[in-house]
Amino acid sequence: MRVLLVEDDRMIAEAVRTALEQDGHVTDWMSDGAAALAALGHSQFDIVLLDLGLPRKDGLTVLRQMRERGDATVVIIITARDDVRSRVAGLDGGADDYLVKPFDLDELAARMRAALRRSAGRGDPVIAHADIRLNPVTHEVQKAGAKVALSAKEFAVLEALLLRPGAVLSRAQLEDRLYGFGDAAESNAVEVYVHALRRKLGSDAIKTQRGAGYFVPR
Amino acid sequence: MMRSLRARLLLGLLLLVAVMTLMVGSITYRRVLGETSALFDYQLRQMALSLGDQASVLSGYPLPPQAENSDFVIQIWDIFGTRLFSPQLPFVSNAVLGYSDLTFQNQRWRVYVLANRTSVIQVAQLWSVREKLAREAAVRIVVPLLLLLALMAVAAAWIVARAMRPLKDITTQLELRDIHSLAPLAAPDLPAEVSPLVEELNRLLDRLADAFASQRAFVADAAHELRSPLTALSLQLQLLERARDEPERELATSRLRDAIERATHLVGQLLTLARNEPEGMAEAMSAVALGALAGNAVGDVQPLAQQRHIQIRLDVPAEISVQGDAEALRILVRNLLDNAVRYSPEGSVVQVRVSSAHGRPVLEVSDQGPGIAPVDRPRAFARFYRAPGVSAGGTGLGLAIVKAIAQRHTAEVSLDEVKPQGLRVEVVFPLP
Repeated sequence: MRVLLVEDDRMIAEAVRTALEQDGHVTDWMSDGAAALAALGHSQFDIVLLDLGLPRKDGLTVLRQMRERGDATVVIIITARDDVRSRVAGLDGGADDYLVKPFDLDELAARMRAALRRSAGRGDPVIAHADIRLNPVTHEVQKAGAKVALSAKEFAVLEALLLRPGAVLSRAQLEDRLYGFGDAAESNAVEVYVHALRRKLGSDAIKTQRGAGYFVPR
Repeated sequence: MMRSLRARLLLGLLLLVAVMTLMVGSITYRRVLGETSALFDYQLRQMALSLGDQASVLSGYPLPPQAENSDFVIQIWDIFGTRLFSPQLPFVSNAVLGYSDLTFQNQRWRVYVLANRTSVIQVAQLWSVREKLAREAAVRIVVPLLLLLALMAVAAAWIVARAMRPLKDITTQLELRDIHSLAPLAAPDLPAEVSPLVEELNRLLDRLADAFASQRAFVADAAHELRSPLTALSLQLQLLERARDEPERELATSRLRDAIERATHLVGQLLTLARNEPEGMAEAMSAVALGALAGNAVGDVQPLAQQRHIQIRLDVPAEISVQGDAEALRILVRNLLDNAVRYSPEGSVVQVRVSSAHGRPVLEVSDQGPGIAPVDRPRAFARFYRAPGVSAGGTGLGLAIVKAIAQRHTAEVSLDEVKPQGLRVEVVFPLP
């Protein structure tokens, strides 16, 4: 999935980014509030990790302005402010979860998955569709009970499509989930991953809507 | 030395009253004795005079016998030496006219002798009787005075207690208050002697409250600021643990080292700041050559400057010395240079200048960095202040340390801009 990390401390940002990328997530890092709002304005993210003490525009303001303009992206606040008042203000301001520094990377990953699951209205962490089961925790995918080995990018494409069965995702939307702002996307990368997925899961698993994009049939 | 003011006052007053009473008593006693004596003498004379008048008339007639314990002994002789009247007492006359004292049978007598044309009259009185009567009279006057002494003692005790009441009230207030409370003492209508003390105490409490608040804020700030490097440390360690191959491990290790260095640097800066706070344990001052000191500090930051291709120019037209703590001053210059090098664009020039203005030694560091906007300048010296838009690599303590060290040397620090771009920090030392 694609993550926007908003954190003004370079060392912390680098570490979180490395960990997220190791988990196969595409991560964009913004070091101030104004830049974060701009990025949210022109790109689609699955989740935002938001620090509160930010230069130029503090985290709570970013959150309020996101929600005011109807942006419902999942937001987890990550901050050093551990007092009850700040936590309440953060959650009431529209955050989905609140994590206090210093934190554990595994806990962050678990909270991200839980927040996403709740926002999708699911209780079960495993995404199941037809005979395909995708586990975001273990990154395991099963087809009719048999384990299928997927690369991180293939997993990301499948996860994006399975989260909203029937919905068509364009090549650009899928690329957004695969590459951060700095990465150079190869021109036919999405086709390559879809092709690989069809080979591993069966050609009917992912359909093409000509001229529009790809979808998983309901 | 007695510790209690009240006891001292009371004792002093009581002693004074007692001494006064005794003095007044003894003077009164003596005067009463004297006056009584004069009165008795007058009585003797009156008696003699009245007997003298009668003697001529009653010559030959015995006077009625006098009582055994009578106060007076009266003797009358006619001009031929015949004793006309004499009580049972054998009495030897020495016939000195007027008043005189004489001793007869181991008893002292006061005598008055009067002579007229027909007779000599002698009236005598025992001194012991006179003294007894006089003493009784004196005691009758002095005893009430002594009673008054007791009354005055009670009154003095009451007055002293009343005068000490405000002090006692304040003591009670202090005793009853919460030991952590630094609220000022409430003391309305204080006597002039006590109110300066209470005002001074309140001022002290006020300063203490300020100092405590600033200490608490410092600790809270420091704890908050330590969270970021600790978070970075903990994250890098977790990354090291989950590293899957050698390159990842190497990257994580080197970042972990950076994170440790950063935490160490922050702790070092916090210590430096604490040491240079007004209450800190300051090193002794000695003569410090500013130019040489600046040269050393330039050496300290040279590696970072070279890495960023920044040239540091040191301009010392003439060596100037200041009274100061050499180590602290070196930290001051190093912090200024570190900021200048860190925030200047690569390939720019940082200038250090040691000079004097109106006899006052001046040290200035200018760079070609983004500078600090005039509105932000007053806050720039606050601890943990970071210029907006500047990535949070620094501790935010550099300028706070500079300020603390400057204040210890009673030097003034000011921020100014450099045309076309840059910041100039000027440290002006006091007149040597």
